[in-house]
Amino acid sequence: MLALSLTNGLVIGIVYALTALGVSLVVGIMNVVNFAHGEFYILAGYFSYLFAHTLGIHPLAAMVIAVGLVFLLGLVVEYTLIRPTYGDDMYSLILTFILSIVFQSLFLLVFGPYPNKPPSWIKGATEVFGLFHYGNQRLAALAAGVVVIALFFAMLKLTWFGRMIRAAAQDREMAELNGINTTRLNLLSFGLGCALAAAAGVILAPVFPVTPTAGTPVALTAFVCVVLGGMGSMSGCVLGGLVLGVVENLGAAYVSTGYKHVFMFLILILVLLFRPAGLFGRREV
Amino acid sequence: MVKAIDNRWWLAAAVAGFAALPWGLGIYHQHVLIVSLFYVMMTASWNLLAGYTGQVSFGHAAFAGIGAYASGILATKVGLNPWLGVGAGTLAAAVFGFLLGVLCLKMGGIYLSLTTLGFSEILHIIINNEYEITRGTMGLQVPGLIAEYSKLAYFYIFLAGAIITLAVVHRLIHANIGLNFRAVQNDERAAAALGVDVVRVRVLAFTVSSALAGMAGALYGHYLLLITPQIPSLDQQFLVLSMTVIGGLGSFAGPVIGAFGLEILSEYIRAYGEYHVLAFGLVALIVARFAPRGLVGVWKQFMDRRRPAA
Repeated sequence: MLALSLTNGLVIGIVYALTALGVSLVVGIMNVVNFAHGEFYILAGYFSYLFAHTLGIHPLAAMVIAVGLVFLLGLVVEYTLIRPTYGDDMYSLILTFILSIVFQSLFLLVFGPYPNKPPSWIKGATEVFGLFHYGNQRLAALAAGVVVIALFFAMLKLTWFGRMIRAAAQDREMAELNGINTTRLNLLSFGLGCALAAAAGVILAPVFPVTPTAGTPVALTAFVCVVLGGMGSMSGCVLGGLVLGVVENLGAAYVSTGYKHVFMFLILILVLLFRPAGLFGRREV
Repeated sequence: MVKAIDNRWWLAAAVAGFAALPWGLGIYHQHVLIVSLFYVMMTASWNLLAGYTGQVSFGHAAFAGIGAYASGILATKVGLNPWLGVGAGTLAAAVFGFLLGVLCLKMGGIYLSLTTLGFSEILHIIINNEYEITRGTMGLQVPGLIAEYSKLAYFYIFLAGAIITLAVVHRLIHANIGLNFRAVQNDERAAAALGVDVVRVRVLAFTVSSALAGMAGALYGHYLLLITPQIPSLDQQFLVLSMTVIGGLGSFAGPVIGAFGLEILSEYIRAYGEYHVLAFGLVALIVARFAPRGLVGVWKQFMDRRRPAA
């Protein structure tokens, strides 16, 4: 029971971390909290379902196309909605909140209220450490999540673009003085943030089907991870995601399933009360 | 130029005209007016928080839910008089508002919005899980405020509620403390440096605004006679936010215009069923993007342009 809950927590935690990385990136660079973050996750889930199920494209190719499309949509949203709000956090908050409801009603209209599930990548189950049988799809999701997170950090540490992101997150003005086009950086980071949500969506959708309103808890979890890890800290929010995933699943197993998500908010409130800078301190990217 | 007639006379005339309105209308239109008045209470009190102190709370519908459920549960389980229940509901929302306000003290705008959203989700989960007490999504049947159900009587009750709400909001923003409110919104640090007690202003705004939402929710519950998790839902929060933004965030008349305008509009487009939330969202998105001060802002701009600078 304990080992199973821990594994479940780890799988979910990695995907939480992936979603939260997108929020953290956008907060760190633009100081914008995207309330429609969860809807981008759901949209990618729907896209991969649509391409793989309806059009019969190979599931992996469908996933890549889905993430790519959401990235492009993210660029459009940044350009049309977020750009005029620079410097006014409240305004972007209101706009993205309205955007999330628009998305939700669109999903409801197009896909209906039923859960939709893209096909699994692999079937069957594996015995883990001789303890319990665990679905191969979940293990594959765990592996995929780890790979994407590793790729993201490699990009952040090793590439020129990553260096620009880190510079802008540390000191925006200084980065600008050194010739970084921060307007374009904003555009790309917002798109990348949405793409990270999309990656999480396509990875988890075969395990947990998407519904029109499922984006709200996804976004909320990501926000909690970001606060937990310290606003703007990338590694902090990965740790935050893992902690949340494990705590939630232990809580569900030993206390109550119905109150699964309440534990998360209790953690949020406790952290805000006692360690407003986040559990892992505010470190630079 | 218009002669400077005392504003109070205009106000009295407007209220009297409005009070006479439902006499010529059928039950359906009376219902629309009552619901509009509920939204006036909600938007005006949310505007006090978001428009005047810059704290964008996503928990306003949750506070209406606290008011509704507190009053409803007391009426059904303890048999408390619904009028006292409304008082208890208002008080309960005020207490929770005060606590949440204190909790959010050290936080900037974003943290506050996240925490209030989390609060609203917790409330939703509790209502759905504690089926024995709240009847979950089935809804809690509650008694009405008056022995004989009459739309006309409810109209006047809601009119009184809306007037109380608007009076409280008006008083707060036009008193000395209102100046402090706006100072806190514009520049918190500068306000603090000039001796404004930022903490007190923010907690006061949070408590008063939550209490008003609690009152609105409690009245609404006793009007519908059925309290469902729809009252404290994010959809409801979205309606309140859209109405305020479309009417004009941070202006006194904006929320009133937005509440009536959108409620009446939504009755007209109800025929299109599922499309109506989408239509609302798109209108709100366009207004928020191109006219961040809402209809009131557009009107002011228009008047300024017509009147050449002296």
